Amino acid sequence: MTAIHLENLVKRFGAFTALKTMDLEIRDGEFMALLGPSGCGKSTTMNMIAGMEQPSEGRITFDGRDMNGVAIGRRGVGFVFQNYAIFTHMNVYDNLAYGLKVRGTPASEIDRRVKAMADFLQLTPMLDKPSAKLSVNILQRLAIGRSAIVEPAIFLLDEPLSNVDAAFRAVMRTELKHLQRQFRQTMVYVTHDQLEAMTMADRIAVMDHGVLQQVGTPLEVYNDPVNLFVADFIGSPGMNLLKGTLADSDRGLVVDLGMLGVTAPLDPALSAIARVNRVREVVYGFRPERVVPAAAGQGLAIPVTFIERIGARTVVHFGDREQRVKAVFDNDVAVQAGETVHVAVEPGFARLFDAATGVAIREV
Amino acid sequence: MNRSLPFEIFRYGAILLALAVTLIPTLWMASMAFKPIAEWSAAGADLTWWPKSPTLDNFRFIFGTSTSDLIVALDRTAGKPILASLLSAVFGTLIAMTAGTAGAYGLSRFGSGQNLPLALIQLRLFPPMAVMIPVMIMWAFFGLVDTWWGLALIYGIVTLPFAFWLMKTFFDDMPREIEDAALVEGCSRLRVFMKITLPMMRPALASSALFVFILNWSDYLIALLLTTREWVTIPVYMASLSSSMTGQLYGAKAALGLIAAVPPVIMGIAIQKHLVRGLTFGALKQ
Repeated sequence: MTAIHLENLVKRFGAFTALKTMDLEIRDGEFMALLGPSGCGKSTTMNMIAGMEQPSEGRITFDGRDMNGVAIGRRGVGFVFQNYAIFTHMNVYDNLAYGLKVRGTPASEIDRRVKAMADFLQLTPMLDKPSAKLSVNILQRLAIGRSAIVEPAIFLLDEPLSNVDAAFRAVMRTELKHLQRQFRQTMVYVTHDQLEAMTMADRIAVMDHGVLQQVGTPLEVYNDPVNLFVADFIGSPGMNLLKGTLADSDRGLVVDLGMLGVTAPLDPALSAIARVNRVREVVYGFRPERVVPAAAGQGLAIPVTFIERIGARTVVHFGDREQRVKAVFDNDVAVQAGETVHVAVEPGFARLFDAATGVAIREV
Repeated sequence: MNRSLPFEIFRYGAILLALAVTLIPTLWMASMAFKPIAEWSAAGADLTWWPKSPTLDNFRFIFGTSTSDLIVALDRTAGKPILASLLSAVFGTLIAMTAGTAGAYGLSRFGSGQNLPLALIQLRLFPPMAVMIPVMIMWAFFGLVDTWWGLALIYGIVTLPFAFWLMKTFFDDMPREIEDAALVEGCSRLRVFMKITLPMMRPALASSALFVFILNWSDYLIALLLTTREWVTIPVYMASLSSSMTGQLYGAKAALGLIAAVPPVIMGIAIQKHLVRGLTFGALKQ
């Protein structure tokens, strides 16, 4: 229930700059995911919001209040750690009660809230158990419960699901979202798993090498990545990115992909922007889900390298080295490795990037 | 596990040898403690493993209540040396563990570099004799010679590096996130240390304390130099158990040795469950 504002945030560790610059507004009650590969600065950002690290430059405000110099325990944040950080010398009940006890909550109130939280997280049967011998899945829920029970205005989660098994991760994704809807906290969620970010977050902040790349709703970053890094990082499999040259044809502006042939004409809007930008060397991007079979002699003709069946869908890999393309088709698609298939990109779903800078060519 | 026969013979041979080297002298001592003088002295020609006529006379002798024909006048009994050893070793261990734990926590969490920790281990690089003469002079100046508290103080100082290094390793291994989790909830540093860190470190504290205690308990040299009469410890007192008539009083020494083995054994049993490390960190995905 607090808006977080990061202004010109910089963090250096000695000669190493973990966070080059960061400006981000996290709205009141928003679920914001900080997404990026390891070493991108997302955990450093989170630790500064919590107060475990002090910014080298810039400032952090909660609802306009400057947090610089405010002690870690006085910021009203809850923090769930990647390794859970359970107090193993206490049982489950005492772990859940800890935050309330520190705040001097009356015993009857503690008891009521611990039982309610245990009920919510299905921890009731384990309340008396020593926490040292619980399974990873239960520890993870306990860690979330211990932070959530004090109903912090800001809830920070640092890769909480990276150690649990895949099936449980899917369950927790819905539970976490449910938890946030119930308590309406401002939630900041650090992850390197784009699926977690896509499924839970209201908005995603994509980071790389200490620089914020793009902020937007899951669909915005998915559909309209601002640069090649975001295009490649978001989505599984990521966006197809093919080097090419812009060329004029009698049907409009197209991208010459060399060996693969020439693309269908670009949208009028995209063509117009591309012409204004005067870029010739581009990267042509399109989502594997937007690849459709084309009639013989049309679209791009590329050989199928191998076929990956993932159940509901089938991922077909085309081409090799520089000119690799993935396409997601229905699971009964009739293609075979070795044959050459004609494919096209659905109209309106092609994206262009400047090959030199990696920046998306699009309306701003 | 298909080891060859010669290897198995070698393996068990080595184990038996190691056991023999450690156990036979101990068992011999235990047996001797219950032998009458005729069986342990040079006069008793036939040495046997098992006491032929077991007696508690050696124990009575060192506590001054012997009624046997062992005609040696003891100028003092073992009571006071046992007390001296207990007091100096226990308080020495307390000093070393308190200072060592506090220092180790501070340097593990807030320290930088290796200079300070290494400087502490330097204390142990000296041969003890090199520093004992200055220590004697200092202790004499402060009136600490021949007192249990003077002995406890030097024991605390001498074993501090061990306590410090053992505890520092344990603190370094403890994930910081556990303390951060308590700090986020609004705990003060001190409260985190007292309520979270120390309780989780119980196994580490127990095993380090046992190690330090055994070092203090078995010291001979320092006690020999720093005590004269009132507060001599068990090892020093044991060395004095001899007479011009019979030479070394092996029976009495054995009885005292057996008594001296009791405290470390009791401590070891008491903290047995803590000696197996890893309980503390079991809940963390490493």
